[in-house]
Amino acid sequence: MRNRLLIFCLLVLGVASVTFATDFAVVVNPSNPARAMTLADLGKIFRAKTTVWASGRNITIVLRDPSSPGMKFVIEKVLGGTVDEGKTILNDPSRKTTVPVVFAGSDEEVLKLVGGNAGAIGVIDVYNITGDVKVVKIDEKQPFDPGYVLKGH
Amino acid sequence: MKNRNSLLLIAIAILLTGTAARGQDSAPSAGAPAQASDQTPGQASDHASAATGTIPVTTHSVTAQRAYEMGMVQREDRLFVDEGLAFFREAVKADPEFALGHAALGYFTTDPKEEKQEIAFAEKFIGTASPDEQLLIRWMNGTKNGDLVPAISAMNDLLTKYPNDKRLGNMTAEWLCSNQGAFEHGEAILVRLLKNDPRYFPAMNNLAYCYAMSGQPGLAPPLMTEYVAALPNEPNPQDSYGEIMRMLGDYPAALDHYRKALQINPNFNASQVGLATTYALMGDQSKARAQYLVAIKGTKERPTQVNYRILWAMTYYRENKPILAHQAFLKVDSEAHLAGLPIQEAEIHRTVALFSPNPAVALKDLDEAREDLSETRKAKLLSGDRDAELASILQTRAFIAVSAGKTDVAEAALTLLTEMAQTSRSIPVQNSYHSANGAVLLAQGDYAGAIMELQEDAQNPLSLRLLEEAQTKAGQSADAHKTLATLAAISDERVETAFATPSARAALKNDTTQTAQGGAH
Repeated sequence: MRNRLLIFCLLVLGVASVTFATDFAVVVNPSNPARAMTLADLGKIFRAKTTVWASGRNITIVLRDPSSPGMKFVIEKVLGGTVDEGKTILNDPSRKTTVPVVFAGSDEEVLKLVGGNAGAIGVIDVYNITGDVKVVKIDEKQPFDPGYVLKGH
Repeated sequence: MKNRNSLLLIAIAILLTGTAARGQDSAPSAGAPAQASDQTPGQASDHASAATGTIPVTTHSVTAQRAYEMGMVQREDRLFVDEGLAFFREAVKADPEFALGHAALGYFTTDPKEEKQEIAFAEKFIGTASPDEQLLIRWMNGTKNGDLVPAISAMNDLLTKYPNDKRLGNMTAEWLCSNQGAFEHGEAILVRLLKNDPRYFPAMNNLAYCYAMSGQPGLAPPLMTEYVAALPNEPNPQDSYGEIMRMLGDYPAALDHYRKALQINPNFNASQVGLATTYALMGDQSKARAQYLVAIKGTKERPTQVNYRILWAMTYYRENKPILAHQAFLKVDSEAHLAGLPIQEAEIHRTVALFSPNPAVALKDLDEAREDLSETRKAKLLSGDRDAELASILQTRAFIAVSAGKTDVAEAALTLLTEMAQTSRSIPVQNSYHSANGAVLLAQGDYAGAIMELQEDAQNPLSLRLLEEAQTKAGQSADAHKTLATLAAISDERVETAFATPSARAALKNDTTQTAQGGAH
């Protein structure tokens, strides 16, 4: 007996591929008063057009490897172009003095870096969020909300 | 509640979880938890938790603490549903302000009214719980009321703080796999638990299901073999093996394992239902009905009894006896009404509608299903449960309407579902919306759009049937064939499966025959 009634009770016997969606959460340090932003605002941060928070604190971006399937989706969604164009923007050496980008090896590392840096903003799989970070609404929606823009496939 | 020896239960708990049961200040008395005495009033914080690395349980009542632990042993470790619920009820009776006890009862109960009530009590008394218990309550309640972001945050904080709390890991992993479809996350937790303790059998059980559900069915039977061998005197391993084999379509093996589970414990009702459903899937509806009746007698939980009655009535549709089926469902409907179970009433009307040969009558049945969920009854139910059923009703309405060429009716259902989907985080609501939208797009001739939408609800047989149609009309015959094969392979007790898989299997068989004949020529 399984422990609870199953919602996802389809057994796929190798006749169709299984694909599952996950939502990506935009996270900041809990001390950051920001609670929400638009996707366009996030794009400006990614492009280093916005360099500081309203408090005046410098912004640092923390992301997973841009070549990973999830990050490809996030970069394309936030920056609006191809993933290669996004990588060029994020790897631009000149931004080290404006909005530096730190690439982390895992969501756990993203959590650690964002949790330890009051100006950091990161993106992780929603199932990995902890109390070390605060989830920011994007376009007035949070993960699992209908129409949430960072719902990946 | 059956009279069981509590010392035996503790021994089983140690065997299953590798940790001693909590509340060790005095040995529990034999039998039901009500017999345990409240010897040490005051804050009975669990001192054992620090040593075992498990979340502490705080209550003023030793009886409540012990009953809570027994509830967990029965419901979570041994999967004795009724017994576990009885212990949780005993716990909150002994300490009405026991927040975690209320949350656990709300989390595990099958009664929607009790669920709503217990979640409210847990919220009311949450201030009396320790900070870590509050996190656990936030996770349990959040999974029920849709506050998933704080729930997941609380869950991960607890998993980090209590990496050795195997029950916590197992419960959360099971939720991730079964309720959220987050298989990768659930599997990671379960694999870690088993790496730390290869003899932690509840995780072995859940990992097998997780593999089966995530499209890795070949990994499940070896785990089941190990599980059965390790606990030869427990019924659940055999029951789980039976269910896995049923999912794989090996019905004789499923029957064999269910029978073995019942030989070990004739009162293990899950296996009784498993036996019945396997007979139903095999086409032997007389045997299925007889076994369902035994299962109904085997539980005292009224909602569970009605759920089994629905499965019993379904056997008449399965053997193509619509008049008898209708009569049976009318009877079950009165039982559900008398028991105050509006969601079951709605499900009954939705089932009758789906099998109705007359679309006009079917749409009326669906109106009645919506009436069952009407305003006057709302107060008794959690909005999530009500919304999920309402979404299913509207999805079924769109399906029937499109099949009958009534696109305007399907569009009206879609309008309502769109409104729901714009404000609901519920996965069932979202899936139903995508399915209904796909149905309407299919009716409008937008096959590419329909395919995209219907793939969002690929666990639902109705959506798979429409998906196969859309792919065929779009000229994607290879994909359509795969979808048909996927639909034909589904082997579960859902009404949608009973409705949609027989024709898929027939079509697949026909395809195979034609291919073989073509090859012969």
